Amino acid sequence: MTQSALRIRGLAKAFDKPVIAGLDLDIAGGQLYALLGPNGAGKTTTLRMVAGLAKPDTGSIEIFGVDARHDPLGAKAITAWLPDEPMLYDKLSPLEYLAFVAGLWRMDPGQAAQEADRLLHWLDLWEQRDTRCEGFSRGMQQKVALAGALIHDPKLLILDEPLTGLDASMARSVKDALRAQVDAGKTVIVTTHILEVAERMADRIGIIGGGKLLAEGTLDELRDRAGTEGMTLEDTFIRLTTPSTPAA
Amino acid sequence: MRQLPPGSFGWLALNEVRLAVRARKGAGRTSATQLIGYLLVAAWVVIGCAIGWGLRDTAIPIVPEVRIAVLAVSIVMLSFMTAQAMLGSQRSLYDVGDLALLFSAPIREANVLLAKMLGIAATIALTYAVLLLPIVVPVAALGHPRLFGLVALLVALALSATALGLALTLAVATLVGPRAARTFGQILAALLGGAVFLGSQLLPRADHKGSAMLALFERLQTDGVGTRGLSSLPGRAALGDPLAIAIVLGVALLLFAGAGLTLQRLFLSGYQDGGNRLSRSKPTGRASARLFHPGLTRTIFAKEWRLLARDPALAFQIVMRLIYMAPLVLAMAGSRHAVPIPAAIAFASVLIASQLVGSFAWLTVSAEDAPDLLAVAPVAKAQIDRAKVLAALAMAAPFALVLPIGLATRTPIGALITLVMTGLGGFGAGYVELKLGKPNPRSSFARRRQGGFVAGLASLAIALVFGGGAAIAVYCLDGGPALSGLIGQR
Repeated sequence: MTQSALRIRGLAKAFDKPVIAGLDLDIAGGQLYALLGPNGAGKTTTLRMVAGLAKPDTGSIEIFGVDARHDPLGAKAITAWLPDEPMLYDKLSPLEYLAFVAGLWRMDPGQAAQEADRLLHWLDLWEQRDTRCEGFSRGMQQKVALAGALIHDPKLLILDEPLTGLDASMARSVKDALRAQVDAGKTVIVTTHILEVAERMADRIGIIGGGKLLAEGTLDELRDRAGTEGMTLEDTFIRLTTPSTPAA
Repeated sequence: MRQLPPGSFGWLALNEVRLAVRARKGAGRTSATQLIGYLLVAAWVVIGCAIGWGLRDTAIPIVPEVRIAVLAVSIVMLSFMTAQAMLGSQRSLYDVGDLALLFSAPIREANVLLAKMLGIAATIALTYAVLLLPIVVPVAALGHPRLFGLVALLVALALSATALGLALTLAVATLVGPRAARTFGQILAALLGGAVFLGSQLLPRADHKGSAMLALFERLQTDGVGTRGLSSLPGRAALGDPLAIAIVLGVALLLFAGAGLTLQRLFLSGYQDGGNRLSRSKPTGRASARLFHPGLTRTIFAKEWRLLARDPALAFQIVMRLIYMAPLVLAMAGSRHAVPIPAAIAFASVLIASQLVGSFAWLTVSAEDAPDLLAVAPVAKAQIDRAKVLAALAMAAPFALVLPIGLATRTPIGALITLVMTGLGGFGAGYVELKLGKPNPRSSFARRRQGGFVAGLASLAIALVFGGGAAIAVYCLDGGPALSGLIGQR
C-alpha cells in the first residue's frame, strides 16, 4: 500500500470569516496532485498551513507520518514550498542562493555543491549561475526558486500557481521538472488556475470550495461524479463548483 | 479634480499633489501613530496661536541679523531639500511604476514630468510646512502679515530644490549609466544632505560648539553676506518685501519650468534605460564548493554580508549616520564646560555601536527579502534570529572597536569597560529590533522607523544607559575631580 504523503483532518482556519472549515484530505505518495478551486476557495491558505507558514485554528496535518503541528521542523525537513512569487534575493546569484538554501536545510556542503551543479545544468541555469537574480525574467526566477526547492531532495513538493506568468518554453521546462520528480517517486502538489495543466499532468485532482473538499479523484472519476462524461475538466470544474439551482 | 479636464496638466498635477499629501499623511503609520501625529500638530498650532497672540502688538525688529539668519536657514534647507528631491526623482524613475501608465497615455511628456515635479515639490514643502506653518500663519494673521513672506520663501525653496534635484539625478544617470545611476544618485543625495553640516565642521569657530546652522551664520556675518544685494533676497522675501518675494518666486518658477521643459527627453530616456538595468555577471567556471558552508550561522553570515556588500548605496547611508552623530560628540567634548574627552569617547562608542547595530539588525531582521523561505526551513526561528543579530553585531564590530582601542592608550581599564558597555549597547539595540522591528523592504532604509515610537524610545534608553554608564566609569577612572577623589579616599 502507498504511504500517505499528506493527511489532513478537520483543518479549519478563519481570518475575518472562515476560510477553511473542517477540511479532510488524503494524498498518496508518488503522484502529482492538483488542488483546484475558485478564487478565495482556500487553496493557498491550506497549502500555507501545510508548509508551516500559517497556523491552523484546529485540525491535524501529517506529512509522511510526521505530525506537522507537533514536529514542525521534522515536517519541514522533508517538504519544499514554492509560492507563486519566488522567494529569492535579488543580489544573490543562483549558485549563492542554492548555497544559502542548502545551509538552511543543513546539507553537507560537498553534497550540496554537487547537487547544485546538477540542478543548474538540469534546469538550464548553468550559464547564469554567477549572475545576480535581479535582472532575471520571471521564468528564470521561477526556475531558480525551483532549484532551491529541489536541492534538499524533499519528499513532498508543494507549488502554488507555479506556471503563472511563464512563457510556453519556460512552462514546459517547469512541467517536465515536476513530472521528473513524480517519476522519481516524489509527491508533488500544485494549485493552478490553468485547468488544461491539471487535466494533462495531474494523477489526481481535488476541488475545494467554501473551505471544504467538494470532490476528489482522477479526471474520469470527477467526470462521473459531475455527469460530464467526455467533457473537459473546465466543464467538470464549473459543474462541481457552481451551486445548483434549487428545483422549482 | 472634477472641475479640471481629465488628462490636462492641472488634472495630472493635482493627482500628483494628492498622492504626495496622502503619502505624507499615512505612509507606514498605524492609526495610533497617526492620532499622536495629529495631536502634536494640533498642539503646535495652539502654541503658534499663543505666540501670535503674545506678539500681536509687538513690532518684530528688522535687523540685519534676521536676514543673515534667514539666508543661513535657507542654505541648509535647500541642501536637505535637494537631497530629498534627488531621492524623490529616483523613486519616480525607478520605483513607483506609474510612469509606464503615464507615458503610454496620450499626454505630453513635458506635462507628465512637470506634474511629477510638482508632486515631489509638494512632498518636500509639506515636510517643512508641518513645522513652519502652525507657527508662522497665526503670527502673521494676528498682526504681522509681512511674515506670510516665509510661506512664499518655503514654496520657492521647494520648487528650486526640485529642479536642482531632478537635474542632478539625470546628470548622474547620464554620466554613470543606468546600472550605477541609482547607487551613485543615493550616495550623492546623502552627501548633499550632509554637505552643509560637514562643511560647517571645517569652519573655524571660537568655541568649536554649536550647530551647523550657527557656524554658517557666524561665517556669513563675518563675510558680510546676507544683508545687502542678491544675498539679502531670501531675508527680505521672508520679511514681506513684495519685490523680493516676486524675484525669489519668479526665479524658482523659472528654474522649475525650465527644468521640466528642458529635461523631459533626458527624463524619458532615464526611465527607459532604468527598465533595462542589467544584472551583474562574472562566470567563474565550476560551482565553487567554497560557497557552501556547514552550519546555520555561517550560512546566514555569508548571505547577509553579500547582500550588504552588493548594495553600496545602503552601506553608505549607514556610514553617513555616523557622520551625522559627530556634532553631538564634538559638542560634548569641545566646550569649556564639556564632558572630558575620554568620557565623551566612551559615550560616543556606545552610541555609535547601538546606532550601527540597530541599522544592521534592521537590515538582517526586518528587511529580510524572503521571510517565507526562512519560515519553511527546518530551523527554529530563535536560531535564525540569533544568527541574524550576531551577523549585525559582526558587521558593526569593526567600527565599534575603533573608539575603545583609541581609549586604551589613555585608560586601559576604561577602554575595557567601554568595550563591554559598547557590546551590551549593541546587543540591546539588536534585541530591540528583533522584538519590535516591523517587516520592511531594504529600499526603505532611509525612511525606516524602528518599529515605531516604543522601539525608538527603547533604543535611545539603551544608548543612554550603557553610554552613560561607560562615560561615568571612564570619567572616574580618568581622574574626574569629585568622584575620583572619593574613590581615592576610600
